[in-house]
Amino acid sequence: MSEVTGLRQPKRASVDLFRKLGVEPVPDNEKVQMAIRHIDEFRFKVRSFVMAMESCVKCGACAENCHTYLGTRDPNNIPAGRVDLIRKAYKRYFTVQGQLFPGLVGAQDLDLETIEKWYSYFYQCSECRRCAHVCPFGLDTAEVTMIGRQILFWLGIGPQLHTATAGAILRTGNHMGLTKAGIIDTLEFLAEEIEEDYEGLKVEFPVDKPDSDILYIPSSADFMLNANTLKGAAMFFKYVGANWTISSEITEAGNFGYLMDQNRIQREMVTRLMEQATKLGAKKIVWGECGHGWRAAKMYVSTVSDLPASRRIPITHIHDEIEAYIKAGLLELDPKRNDRKVTLHDPCNYARACGHADNMRVIMNAVVPKGAFVEMKPNREANFCCGGGSGILFDDPDMYQFRIQASNKKAEQVRETEADTLCAPCSICKAQLYPMVKEHKLPVEVVGLVDLVGHALVFRD
Amino acid sequence: MPFVEIEGKQIEVDEDGFMVDPAQWWPGWAHYVAKQEGIPELTERHWHVIEFLKDYYAKTGIAPMIRKLCKESGIPLKEMYELFPTGPAKGACKCAGLPKPTGCV
Repeated sequence: MSEVTGLRQPKRASVDLFRKLGVEPVPDNEKVQMAIRHIDEFRFKVRSFVMAMESCVKCGACAENCHTYLGTRDPNNIPAGRVDLIRKAYKRYFTVQGQLFPGLVGAQDLDLETIEKWYSYFYQCSECRRCAHVCPFGLDTAEVTMIGRQILFWLGIGPQLHTATAGAILRTGNHMGLTKAGIIDTLEFLAEEIEEDYEGLKVEFPVDKPDSDILYIPSSADFMLNANTLKGAAMFFKYVGANWTISSEITEAGNFGYLMDQNRIQREMVTRLMEQATKLGAKKIVWGECGHGWRAAKMYVSTVSDLPASRRIPITHIHDEIEAYIKAGLLELDPKRNDRKVTLHDPCNYARACGHADNMRVIMNAVVPKGAFVEMKPNREANFCCGGGSGILFDDPDMYQFRIQASNKKAEQVRETEADTLCAPCSICKAQLYPMVKEHKLPVEVVGLVDLVGHALVFRD
Repeated sequence: MPFVEIEGKQIEVDEDGFMVDPAQWWPGWAHYVAKQEGIPELTERHWHVIEFLKDYYAKTGIAPMIRKLCKESGIPLKEMYELFPTGPAKGACKCAGLPKPTGCV
């Protein structure tokens, strides 16, 4: 495979698309000045950003731990090198040494060419935070990618994919632009499939049902690609007799705002979530399979929504719910129904950001036969990213080629397990791995975890 | 957004060449996209898929789940990829004038 070290960039969103999001793209001759102003604001607001700017000693620990660098061997994809794309400007404008002796301390004027590099490299980084996991100083370089992407967004620079998805969020409250009619029709189809595949089992998928105890938040991609995850969730809720519903106003576990515009788009999703949960009378919100979305929900909702404690509604993950029922011995599961050799890909945002790893293993061991679950190495919080993290699922030829390279490490890990099934319980991981297992000629089927639960549940009258 | 001219009509398209306003659809659009997608000729089977997608979109405002498309159109997935090499979600939807899917696809 050829090694690309040039400036590759995903297809950009148009000016029109940005205007629909309320962003007036900044003219070229003002971009540099504006970017410097934003860096100035961030250094007073975000402590982790200042730490990354000030404390990196270029020890190099992050390099060989970054799947993007391993796949491309491009020095700008070494996490410390990527951060340098902003750090050079930070030093030039905001440190005394950089102002007086720029050449001696690696400080450099910011220019349009560097901003173009930001667009290239901050969208090759998947914000997986494996570099943060190994950094001896605990620097979280993903925070710098996030800030880089936010500044680019304000300048009116962003990928067509992320920006169009943000447009769909504002229009419908989900990434795929699902309408209520489309949601209901798809769910009716899934209920029919369950009835056909599971001996007449009748499962309901309530939509916008008032007075529901549980508001379930599926990933909108489940309506197009990961139907079995959605079916597994409904079968679980049926099994435990839950009073649950899906909301057509917030049919989205992901939050692309978190990946590009934490200021407005992320907030839009959180506002919708809290409004709908309150309107439907939900006592608990249960999250579906989505990595970045779970981090955004678990770690950010309480601060972003800015609601008083008395109005907060607990948010849990469906894996935690299933784990609790398994531990209490309340689910009858038949592991023989999942007669596969399966390995588990730990989504980065679960394992490294949310302490979400044991629960998946409790579930896995209960739904596949003894000895059928093989760990890939490394795993849990040391696992490597699928290569598509933070939604870099671009399909323009150059970036698609990049996705194949960025998943080299993952392919190697999976191949070593000799598994026939790759469980990747996150929509971005799934969307990345469906084509990537083909590109790397891996003989595995990509599935979600809840899929396996649904399939193993034994219903008795 | 860019425009393309087909049979003397100005059609607004997005960055990926998908039609912006599905109401503008006419068969000439499907022929134009087919050529871009490397489909030599639109057969009866192609039109069957295109018509199904158009109807479904008119009713629900979304593209159907691929399983539903295969089941209800009676065209198995393998044949779907033979008909539309870039896949039903991209090639077929583009021919039918549906917007490009966004999000985790």
